[in-house]
This record gives sequence, structure tokens and C-alpha cells, in this order.
Amino acid sequence: MKDQLARWPVRLVIGLVAPLLLIFLWQWQASAHSVTFAPPVAVASALAELLRNGDLLRDTLATLQRAFTGLAIGAPLGVAAGIAMGIWKPVDRLLGPLLHALRQVPMIGWLPLIGLWFGVGEGTELIVVSMSAFFPSMLNSHAGVAQVERRYLEVGGIYRFTTLQRIRFILLPAAMPLVLTGITQALAFAWISTIGTELLTGAGSGLGVAMQTAQVQQRLDIMLVVIGVTAALGFLINQLFRRLRQSLLRWQPAQS
Amino acid sequence: MAFPQGKAVAAAWAAPVALLALWQVACLSGLFPPQVLVPPSVVAQALADMAASGELQRHVGDSLYRLLVGFAIGAGAGMVFGAALALSRLVEAVLSPLFLTLWQVPVIAFVPLMVMFLGIDEPFKIAVVAIAAFFPMALATFDGIRGVPRNWFDVAKVYRLSLLQLIRRILLPATVPAVLTGLRISLTRAWVVLVAAELLAADSGIGQMMEMGRQLFQIDVVLAGVVVSGLIGFLLDRGARWVESRATRWRTA
Repeated sequence: MKDQLARWPVRLVIGLVAPLLLIFLWQWQASAHSVTFAPPVAVASALAELLRNGDLLRDTLATLQRAFTGLAIGAPLGVAAGIAMGIWKPVDRLLGPLLHALRQVPMIGWLPLIGLWFGVGEGTELIVVSMSAFFPSMLNSHAGVAQVERRYLEVGGIYRFTTLQRIRFILLPAAMPLVLTGITQALAFAWISTIGTELLTGAGSGLGVAMQTAQVQQRLDIMLVVIGVTAALGFLINQLFRRLRQSLLRWQPAQS
Repeated sequence: MAFPQGKAVAAAWAAPVALLALWQVACLSGLFPPQVLVPPSVVAQALADMAASGELQRHVGDSLYRLLVGFAIGAGAGMVFGAALALSRLVEAVLSPLFLTLWQVPVIAFVPLMVMFLGIDEPFKIAVVAIAAFFPMALATFDGIRGVPRNWFDVAKVYRLSLLQLIRRILLPATVPAVLTGLRISLTRAWVVLVAAELLAADSGIGQMMEMGRQLFQIDVVLAGVVVSGLIGFLLDRGARWVESRATRWRTA
């Protein structure tokens, strides 16, 4: 039995049992229950319809754009802040308490306040997404710089490196793995908070908006399509970044 | 580290106090109109007023109750599920693909789906918290048990330990650190998701308090909500960390 389970065709078949059972149960329940309980077939046709009329593509692109814009704003700021705080103690003392205090609040919890300041719309969503990307980048970059081995810095001292050289040739390369970990985490956070803010503000287009609309219209089929797309995209983006991270860190000896 | 003494205590308090002072001064300077930012004294006043009327306690109590019940259900189920997945190759083969697929979905994306099925009443919020707590807990338990060195099981075999003894003497102590870390992550995740769910649909709770404040342009109430939710999140994390360090102090570093 154990040897059988090690073979991938067996694993594949066994792994399909639970999802298939779920689908059968669902189909059976759907035919017994109300109209809102869309059967799998309806979900497939909803997918086809959303693909044909371009809604799905538009919402997906809007969400991707929002998430990556937020990442592009939040992550570099976070990396810069984290590195600055790791290198210069005064910066850490000055900014650290403020940033750590802000970090305690659930990111989505900022939405009402920022919505009050900037109105419910694109700007508010971007600020919250950027903030979600900022903190993991900052924390990991800070940790990355803070744990650079002393002897590397001593070598830099012997070579009489200037501050800039020290950052460029010692601190940045040594901190790179954690910086990239931070950015990968930032991406995941940005993705989730994009969906969350879209759900809550419901402005413009986006996967979260589509979910919200589907909920109001009681369209389970559309809802499930959107959830599926969200999950698949989140998975793909994460895989992509993992690959990217690996190729960027080729020069590193195998990590523990 | 956990209990800073003397000077360290002063240093730890200096920053937040300075922060509050800065906030107060920035407001008094007239740089920000009161519709945009109110000073901490006004926020404190709003908190005091809400506490006097019992409103604050009701919101915090409702939120914490949902967190506690949902977390107990979700983390408990997650632990059992993770253990089953780790201990049985068959269970793993059957359920792990489904589990890993569902895990890709941000919990917040389940929110509208659950509103559809459960409405926006109490069961919905508890279910959201339970789902948020379930996944990290299941994964941590799975990793914890899988991380037990194989030869420990061999030792158990040599000593002819029964299954119960195996669980009590070897599995539990070996997996406690991972499980506690999982509990902490589950707890903080659950809190974040609960606040989001309350923002979206609720009749009470910290999230709803903030959302109502926003709709009524009561910036002091919104800020009070931000402060309270941050404080609760901080205390949950700290509390869980404290339990973690207490429970694992027998381990050598």
C-alpha cells in the first residue's frame, strides 16, 4: 500500500477522489435546492459567458493593475525604509516606533479612515494596497541588513569602503535573500488586500467588485468563477515570484 | 527581551509617548483641519464617552466573542485535520490536493460567498474567523508532525510504546512549538479577517464601529476604532508570543 501511494499516477487518481466527490455532492444538492445554488454545469457556462463578454478579462486586468501598482509603490518604499533603519540607528529610533505602531492595525482597518480622508475610490484602494506591501518589505529588509555578518563589514573596513560602497557591495548583497522574501510576502499581501479593498469599496472594476456584485445579485455561478480565478492567479503569481527569487539568488550556496 | 527592566522600560515607553505628543502638537498647530485629523485627546475623549455609554464594551465584546468562538472551532478543526494529514499517507493522498487548492484562495474572497449562504448574522462572522484560523493551523500542525525525526519513532518502537503513549510522550512535545506558532499566526490572521468582515457586514463590532464612523463623518470614532483594533491585534500577538516562549522554554536554544 505504501509503495503504491508513492507512485504519481496513483496519487493523482486518489487526489481527485475528494474534489470529484465534492462536485457530485454539489450537483446533487443543486438539483434539490433553490435557484441560487448553482450546479457545476452552470458555473462552467458562467465562465464561458464571462470570457466571451470580456467582463472577466477586464476585472482581472483591473485587479492585477491595482495590486502591482500598490506593490510598485509600497515595496520599494518598504525596502528603502527597512534598509535605512537597519543601517542607521537614529532612523530606526525615529521611524521605528511610528511604523511598528501603524503595523498593529489590520491593514483593511485603515480603509474607513483613509476613505474618510480621500473619498472612496481608486486612491484610497491604492493607499491601502501600498501599505500592505510596505510592511512586509520593510520588516524583512530591516532584518536582512541587521543580520549581516560582522566579518563582512570588517573586510569593508579594511578596504576603507565609503558608506555608499559599504551599502552597495556588502549590505545589499547580504540582505538580498531576505529583501526578496519580503517582496514576495508583499506581493501576497498586496494581492489579498486588493481583493479585500475592492470588496469593501466596490468602486470601478476588479475581481473583488465582481464578487460583491455577484453576491448582491445572488449569482453563485459568477461568484465561484471569480473565486476560482482569484485563487489561480494568486497561485501563479506566487510561483512566478518564487522562480524569480531562485534565479536572482543563483549565486548563493544552497540555503538551509 | 520579554521583560525589559529599568532603562529599557523607559526607552520602550519614550517612543509611543513622543508619538502621541507629536500627534497632539501637529493637531494643535492647525496644520490639519479637524475634519481630517483630530488630536489624541479628542480620540481619548471619544473612547471615554463610548466606554461610559457601554458602547465600546459592546463592540469590543462582540468582536472578541466572535474571535474566540470562531478561533476555537477553526484552530481545533485545523489541528485535527493537520494531524490526520501528517499521520496517514492515505488521508494525505486523498485530501491534500483539495486542501492545497482551497488554500490558494484568500480567505477574504470567501466572504461574499458566505454572506450569500449564511447571511450577515453571527454564524457568518464566526465561520469567517474559523476558516481564517483553520488553514494556518492545519499547515503548522502538519509541518510540526512531519518535522519529528524518523528515528524518534524507532525509539518508540524499541520501547514498545502504545499509540497513546506515542502521542503523549513523543508527538505532543515534539510538535508543541510548531503548533503554538501556528496558533499565534491563526489568531492574528483571524483578527484581521474578522475586522474586514465586520467592516463589510455587521451590526456590531470594532469593524462596524469604524464603518459607521466613516459613514457619519465621525473621524474621532474612526480613529478610536483604528487605535482599539491595533491595540487588540498587538495584545493578541504579544499574548500568544508569551505563551509560546513559556511553553517552549525547556528547549535548548
